Amino acid sequence: MKIKLDHVSVKFGDLYAVKDISMTIDKGEYVTILGPSGCGKTTLIKIVSGILRPTEGRVFVDGEDVTDVPIEDRDTGYVFQNIALFPHMTISDNVGYGPRVRDLDSEAVTGTSRQYLELVNMLERAGMMPNEISGGEQQKVAIARALASGSKMLMLDEPLSALDARVRMELRYEIRRLVKKLGITVLHVTHDQEEAMSVSDRMILMRNGGIAETSTPLDMYRRPETIFSAYFVGETNFLECTVVGKTKTGKTTVRLRNDTIVRVAKSKFNVGDPVVISVRPEHVYTASDGLPATVRNVVFMGTYWRIRTLSATDDYIEYNIPADDDIPELGDEVFLVFNKKATLVFARPSEGLEEAIRLE
Amino acid sequence: MSIFKRIDDLSSSPRIRKGWFSAALIIFLTLIIIPAVFVLLEAVIEWESVSEVLGDPTMTGMIWGAVSNSFSIALIVTILDIVVGLPMAWILVRRSFRGKRYLDTLIDMPLAFPTAAVGISVVMFWGAPEGVAIPGLGLVMSPYLIVILLHTVFTFPYMVRSLAGILDQIDPSFETAGMTLGASRLTAVRTITLPLFRAGLVTGFILCFARSLSETGGTYIALQMLGVSSSFFTGPTFIKYMKDLPGADPTGALIVVSVIMIVLAVALLLVAKYMMNRLRLPWTKVWPVWERRLSKGLAARSKDILTFVFLFVIVILPSFYIFAYLTAPSGVADLNSLFGAIGISFAIAGIAVVFNIVFGIPMAIYIARNGNTRLGVLLDNLVNIPLIIPTTVLGLSLSMFWGSFNLPAGAAFFLVTLGHISFTYPLVVRNITGAISEVDPSYEEVARTLGAKPFRAFSKVLLPIVQSSVIAGAILAFTRSLGETGATISISKDVVTVPVYIMDLIEQGQYYQGAVAAMILIVICFILMFGVRYLTGRRKQGA
Ligand SMILES: Nc1ncnc2c1ncn2[C@@H]1O[C@H](COP(=O)(O)OP(=O)(O)O)[C@@H](O)[C@H]1O
Ligand SMILES: [Mg+2]
Repeated sequence: MKIKLDHVSVKFGDLYAVKDISMTIDKGEYVTILGPSGCGKTTLIKIVSGILRPTEGRVFVDGEDVTDVPIEDRDTGYVFQNIALFPHMTISDNVGYGPRVRDLDSEAVTGTSRQYLELVNMLERAGMMPNEISGGEQQKVAIARALASGSKMLMLDEPLSALDARVRMELRYEIRRLVKKLGITVLHVTHDQEEAMSVSDRMILMRNGGIAETSTPLDMYRRPETIFSAYFVGETNFLECTVVGKTKTGKTTVRLRNDTIVRVAKSKFNVGDPVVISVRPEHVYTASDGLPATVRNVVFMGTYWRIRTLSATDDYIEYNIPADDDIPELGDEVFLVFNKKATLVFARPSEGLEEAIRLE
Repeated sequence: MSIFKRIDDLSSSPRIRKGWFSAALIIFLTLIIIPAVFVLLEAVIEWESVSEVLGDPTMTGMIWGAVSNSFSIALIVTILDIVVGLPMAWILVRRSFRGKRYLDTLIDMPLAFPTAAVGISVVMFWGAPEGVAIPGLGLVMSPYLIVILLHTVFTFPYMVRSLAGILDQIDPSFETAGMTLGASRLTAVRTITLPLFRAGLVTGFILCFARSLSETGGTYIALQMLGVSSSFFTGPTFIKYMKDLPGADPTGALIVVSVIMIVLAVALLLVAKYMMNRLRLPWTKVWPVWERRLSKGLAARSKDILTFVFLFVIVILPSFYIFAYLTAPSGVADLNSLFGAIGISFAIAGIAVVFNIVFGIPMAIYIARNGNTRLGVLLDNLVNIPLIIPTTVLGLSLSMFWGSFNLPAGAAFFLVTLGHISFTYPLVVRNITGAISEVDPSYEEVARTLGAKPFRAFSKVLLPIVQSSVIAGAILAFTRSLGETGATISISKDVVTVPVYIMDLIEQGQYYQGAVAAMILIVICFILMFGVRYLTGRRKQGA
């Protein structure tokens, strides 16, 4: 099913939880909604599923305006953040609830329930009560329940946030495999950027009730359009500087705060523009010459070392070295160079860098 | 050495702590439980007069009539309360609208009305008996119906409160989840929320049923005003009637009616407890079309409207109608005797509440912390007994128990106070037990590891956390004691508390004086209830 939101806003009292959002989700697409806590992610999928009615704007499904259609007729599977399995029903009754309230006969109810439990490999738990199975299993049952009512749209509200790291990893691929097999359109809310990147076809990054950026995981990582996206998706170093040179093809040169000149990726800026460059730790290397910096901190991250330095420009700059390599001592002086193709240039925000990346 | 420090030092000895709990336990058994059910033993002792009553068909007919009136009225009232209380609870918990705070307060108001006052007010509103110059609706109604209307007024708030209390704890996402799966609101509520709600339903049921079964003063006043107090009886008014009957010795009849009421009430409590644990609503069938139709539009709106109509026409207006007397003053109220009665009422209620807090807290702690041991479960059930036994029966039983000790004549005040201690005990202990079982024991343990002695840990850690429940239980007990008639009159005729005073006035046909006394009592209860609520509310916000 194709979902379209047209200038949708939701107000709680005087506060906009979602403000003027327009977007389109294609049939069968797996889209994650990413953003800091409180930015309006849950509110957005509640609008799509009809649990909340937008204060302004319209919601379309397959071209049809469903804004005024009540929840029970929306036919949208929804998995709640707290899972919300009915505690007084068995696993199989939980999954059969959708078919049952649509007045299917009891054979069809049992059949559908078994079929979807089978899909999530939970058939052998059918007779148990929700509090007798593990968190990951509960989540699978919740998904089976949402799908068993036959809906072709699925809203997942932070479905994995309460689970152990390993279960979380396994389950996220399992969910994707399942919904792709069934051709279901998915909106998956998360605040975990790694989870968002690894499962989605497309990511919607939200901030403050609005959409900060929409693109594929790879694009959002490689070529974020805003400083906020660069900051929120992956890790990065920001350095304030000024454009000092630009070739006809767009290749740009900037001057850092200590007058070091650095070549960066192509940009649309002109000489004299105040800018911010963003370079991810994996694109920072040490060399025999470059931006001087002092090592301030060394942390082993599990598979690599993260080195934090204070550079001559008075910025903190972080870089990685492989786990097996020798590490510098605290206070050592190193020289940093950036991978110029991966060094992105943004206009320096008028409200200040701090403000531009604030999570709220 | 200060008293506090002394207690603190003493409290670290396990022997002393055990002794303290044993004292509380002995007091509970000897002052509260045994006197309350002593009448069962009395039935054996006085078997002769009992069997005489059982052999007298007129007598058994009257007794049976009174008991079946009591139980059928209580049942009808409670079901009515549930049917209307459910939508009301939903409105209070799940909807947000302007003025909700006022609705909340309005629903609690009848709780501050002593039933004696409600009795006058409800009869005036529905019946306009002779001698009252203020026009009521003037409908002709049977006493049975009037008593139902009367009991609905003071049980409805209890029902709404217990239902709303539980509903508040049930996560609304269960219902929403059901609706995203295609259930209409009615279907979702019926198949998901209601089954999760069982405990609240049963608690509300017991509270309202017991309250209706117990009520004496208001019912008697209503029947008196209707002129049928010697031909139409409920269990408690039958006891009052028999006690006042000149000549014949009422002991046999009193014992029979009391034993029947106790046995039925306790049986009911047990059945209700059983249902709470076992009952599975077998309502899995769904009627999508009908339920959907009823969930929306006109049907849903008329349900809300009817709920409000019920609240105002059946509950609020009849309880406030007594204030209509202010528009037509006649005669002068005897303020001196009234304030004398108020003094006695306050003394009794005050002593009862303080006593129950002091001796109820160790019991509450024990029950809350040992809920799964055998003694814990037993005590938990025993505490409910004075709540479920009609207070008139309880008073009767208590006076028979103490009567066998040949106390001096001046002991009446003391005995009435004991009676009030009995029926308010569960209100205090229940509230505190509930609050303590919510508190993680690790708080106290942390305090102990930091070197606090048990009493200090209790008074500095546990008490502040549960203090608002202690206060809530105390207010509830205090207002219930102020409004109680049945227990008082069945223990002694000489202790004139305010409701007894009002009842006497009505019996003498002095409606105006009765109404004025009732209004003054209402105002006092109001100030108490909302004053304390304001104080505790403010403290909570300040913290
Ligand atoms: N029912 C509500 N009433 C008032 N404010 C709400 C309500 N639901 C959400 N909000 C507010 O709307 C904002 C967005 O909430 P939400 O969509 O739950 O954020 P997220 O899911 O991204 O953490 C938050 O500031 C939250 O406090
Ligand atoms: Mg959320």
